[in-house]
Formats: sequence, structure tokens, C-alpha cells
Amino acid sequence: MASQILPLELIDRCIGSRIWVIMKNDREFTGTLLGFDDFVNMVLEDVTEYETTPQGKKKTSLAQTLLNGNNICMLIPGSAGPEEES
Amino acid sequence: MASSTIQEPFDLIRLSLSERVFVKLRGDRELTGILHAYDGHMNLIMSDVEETIMLVDVVDGAPPGQPATVNVAKRKMPMLFVRGDGVILVSPPSRT
Amino acid sequence: MDDTTPPPPPADQSPPPPPPVQTHTGSPTDFLKGVVGKRVIVRLTSGVDYCGVLSCLDGYMNIALEQTEEHVNGAVTNRYGDAFIRGNNVLYISAAEAI
Repeated sequence: MASQILPLELIDRCIGSRIWVIMKNDREFTGTLLGFDDFVNMVLEDVTEYETTPQGKKKTSLAQTLLNGNNICMLIPGSAGPEEES
Repeated sequence: MASSTIQEPFDLIRLSLSERVFVKLRGDRELTGILHAYDGHMNLIMSDVEETIMLVDVVDGAPPGQPATVNVAKRKMPMLFVRGDGVILVSPPSRT
Repeated sequence: MDDTTPPPPPADQSPPPPPPVQTHTGSPTDFLKGVVGKRVIVRLTSGVDYCGVLSCLDGYMNIALEQTEEHVNGAVTNRYGDAFIRGNNVLYISAAEAI
């Protein structure tokens, strides 16, 4: 069998680099990934939170943050997030 | 300070037994009452309870950001079981 | 028995060097150890923020906070000497001072 990479191995390889986290609702986070656990609770550093509200997009800057894995939907490794020029 | 007697969050609740507590619930509801019992789900038994319900009336077609009218409804219940999954926050009386 | 298990090392081999001492790795557990007793911001999935000193927490992310301020849309809406927050409501716990 060809070398398989498990999904969480990919995330493990992202430790130390920027990651973009998209939640199940209208919320997104970017930050430097410091670590995570089996529930994919994540510790992020230099975090920006993006919130889409009826009043528009809201940005919040945060220091070291433990993000509850319960509402995480997608993870995009190496991305600076919604504001990255593509 | 409280931290000297608290090792886990449930200690905060244990120390509030027989005291009047403030409980914030999902659905913009708040309770104050005497806490008689709790369990690991945060199911609660309370007595002499006053419930406060915030009813927010959003005017149809109103522009976003316009302050909605808030109506507050209150009611009293002599004895109450609260299902734990509705609990957001429990605050004991300040021990100062 | 897993036949990929390597044989035990010979007894005369010197033990491997201890792993480098890391004052903090990045795991959630280590973060939480570092942040107990410090000022934190707890945001709930509803968007409400609780700013206070983190007394302790458990495996469900149930949280005990001291000197807590409740913030809704940036305005202080309540103050609590102590507050227990049920873990299922927690979106994140963020350090509000150096850890």
C-alpha cells in the first residue's frame, strides 16, 4: 500500500506554522498552531478571529488561545486566512 | 480568595448548596433561587425561584442595528428542576 | 503480537538522552496549566465574553472564573465574584496576560 497519511498527521505537520480554521458557523480563525489534542481542540498563537454578522465582518485579535474543537469544520494548513491574496 | 478552596469547577457549585444562586440559561432566561442539589450534568434542583425571560421583539423590515425592543417577563416558582444542558453559567452569592 | 516491534536494546547500551526540557509544549493541557490563575477571556458560542481570573477547569471545559465581567457587544453587562461556566458553551479560552 502506498504511504498513507492520516488526517491528523497532516495537522501535526502544521505545528509551528500558520493555519486557517473554519468553524461550522460563520466564524473563522487564523493563527500559528502550537498544538492540538485528540478532540482537535487547538492551541493557537497570534490569532485573528473573523466573524460574519449581519452588520458585516468583525475582526478580533487574540493572544494564545485554546479553541474548542467541538465547532471546528475545516482546517487549511499554511494559509493566512480569508484576507490572503490568492 | 476562592481559589484556595476550589480544585475543580464543580467545587464552586458544591460550596453554593443551600445558597441563593444566579443561573443563566439558553434562550435568554435567568433564574435566581436557592440551590438544593446538582449533578454532573448540571441538572439542578432549586427552590424559591424567580425566572426572568428576555423577549426581544425585532421589528419586521427594520434596518439591522436598530435597537430592538426588549420585554422582560418574570415569574416565580416554588420548586424547580433545571435540565443541565440548558445551563450556561452559575454564579454563587459573592463571598466577600 | 506485533512483529514490527523492535527487539529490546542490549542491556549494556547507555540509555537514550532525556528529551529536551520544554518549558511549554503547545498541547491544550500545557496551555491550560500555564493559564490557570491568569486573566483570560472566555468566549461562548453565543458570542458573549467572560473576562476574569481562571480558577480551574475540568476535562469538559467546565470553567470556574473569579472577578468575572460579562461582555456583550463590547459593553459590560454583568459582574460576578465567582462564575461556573458549563463547558459545552465554550468557544475558546484566550490568555489576556502573558503566560
